[in-house]
Amino acid sequence: MTTTSAPQLAGAAAWRPVTTGDDAIAVAERPALGTSARVAVWPPEHAGRACAAVDEVLAALDRQASRFRRDSELCWLHRAGGGLFMLSDGLAEAVGVALAAARWTGGRADPTVGDALISLGYDRDFAAIDQLRRDPPGAPVPAPGWQLVELDGLMLRLPAGVRLDLGATAKALGSDRAVRAVMSASAQAGGALVSLGGDIAVAGTPPRDGWPVTVADGPDPAVSPRAQLVRLPCGGVATSSVTCRRWRRAGQTLHHIVDPRTGLPADGPWRMVSAVAATCADANAATTAAIAAGHEAEGWLATAGLPARLVARGGAVRYLGGWPADDGATLPVPAGSHVYGGPGRLGGWR
Amino acid sequence: MDSDREHRGGRVPLPGFGESDPAHPVGQAAASGRRDGIRHARRVSNWTAAALIVGAGAATVALAHQAIPAAAPAAATITGTGATAGATGPQAIHSVATTSGSGVTVTTTTRTVNGKTIVTQIRHVPAYQDN
Repeated sequence: MTTTSAPQLAGAAAWRPVTTGDDAIAVAERPALGTSARVAVWPPEHAGRACAAVDEVLAALDRQASRFRRDSELCWLHRAGGGLFMLSDGLAEAVGVALAAARWTGGRADPTVGDALISLGYDRDFAAIDQLRRDPPGAPVPAPGWQLVELDGLMLRLPAGVRLDLGATAKALGSDRAVRAVMSASAQAGGALVSLGGDIAVAGTPPRDGWPVTVADGPDPAVSPRAQLVRLPCGGVATSSVTCRRWRRAGQTLHHIVDPRTGLPADGPWRMVSAVAATCADANAATTAAIAAGHEAEGWLATAGLPARLVARGGAVRYLGGWPADDGATLPVPAGSHVYGGPGRLGGWR
Repeated sequence: MDSDREHRGGRVPLPGFGESDPAHPVGQAAASGRRDGIRHARRVSNWTAAALIVGAGAATVALAHQAIPAAAPAAATITGTGATAGATGPQAIHSVATTSGSGVTVTTTTRTVNGKTIVTQIRHVPAYQDN
C-alpha cells in the first residue's frame, strides 16, 4: 500500500500503513484529535489522496470545536462569556448536530455539560489530568439544558455561563465529514471507511457483505472474549463506554460520560453500548444517550429503532433492534438521520 | 383631453403596423417585412430563453458542487444480511477497524511467517484524549 505519498499538512502527524492481510484494501493510521484516525480505502491507489482529505477535515474540525485548544472557535466563544455570535459554517454544523442530538435523545446527550465535566476534573487534555489528585471533585453541576442555546443558521445565542462540550457528536461528525471528503477526492470511485477513535463511518461501495469491523467489549479486544466481528455496509457505527477515560479524585473513580440531569458520571447498568445508524453522528449520539439513560437505555434504543449491542457491567451481552449475535454477520443499517438536516428541516434549533 | 381619450379608446395601429392593403404593393412589402421581423424576433427570443435556461442550470449545478453539504450522506436501507451494495466491492476477510470505548484504537496486523498466519493486535494509548 502506498500511504507515504499522502501530503502532510503542517502539524499533522504522519500516516503509517497498516497491514490487515487484505491486499485489495489500503489501511493507514495516525494520531488525531487526542485519539487515532484510521482510513481504509479501495482501490488501494486512492490511499494517498484519502489521507490528505482526512487531514484537511481533521485540521478544520480541531480549529472549530476543540474544547482544549485555546485558539479554537469554541474556546473563543466560551471566553466571550455568552452573547450572540456568527459562527463559521463548520462550527455551526457541529453545534447544530449536537443540539439535534439533544433534541432526539430527550436531552440525554446534552452539549451543555461543559461545566459539569470541568467540575469533575476533566478540564484539560485527558493525559494531563492528575489521576491521583487527593482533593475531591467539585460539586456536581447539572447541565443547564440544551434548550437555552439558540442556533439559527450561522447565528448562535449562547447564554452567559453555558459551556458547550461537543464530545458526544463532534468526533463522529468528523468521521462523517472525512469519509465524504475521501469519496469526493476519489471522484466517488471505490469505497472508504474512516474511524476516529472507534467512531466509524463508511461511504461508497463497501467490500463484499460490508466493511469488516471489530466491536470490542473492553479496551483490549485481544484479551476480550466477547469481541465480535461485524460487517458494516453503509452508514456508521459507534461505541460509548465507561471503561475508558476514567480518572480518580479523592479515591473516587470518575469517567467522561455525564448524566446531564445530575452532572455526575452516568452510573447505569451498561458499561458499553454500540449502535449502528445511517450516520456515525447518529450512532454516537445514541450510544452516549444510552449510557446516560441507565436503566432506560433499552427502552430508548427500542423507541429510536436502532440496532444496538449492550454490555452489562457484569459482562453479559444484549442485542437489540436486529443487531446480529453471530460473528461476521452484516449489520442492518436503518435509513434516515436524526441529527443532520439543519434548522431548515426542524424550524430552527430553539 | 376628452377627444384624446376617445381616440385612444379604439384599436389604433402604430405607424407602419396597420392592416395592410393586399392590393397595394407597398402594403404587401410592409406586411412581408413585418412577418420576417416577427419571425426573427421569435427565433432570437427562443434562443435567448434556451440559453438562459441552460445557463441557469449550469450555474445551479456548479454552485451545488461548491456548496458545503449540509445534509447527511444518504444511507440505503439494508436489512438482514442482504448487502447488495457490496456486490462489486472486493473481498475483505480481516477486520480493518475497531469500535470500542472512545479514544481506544487497536491495530490489527496479520503476517505470514513460515506458512503460519500471525495476528497481532496492539492497543494504542493516545497522548491525550479530548472527548
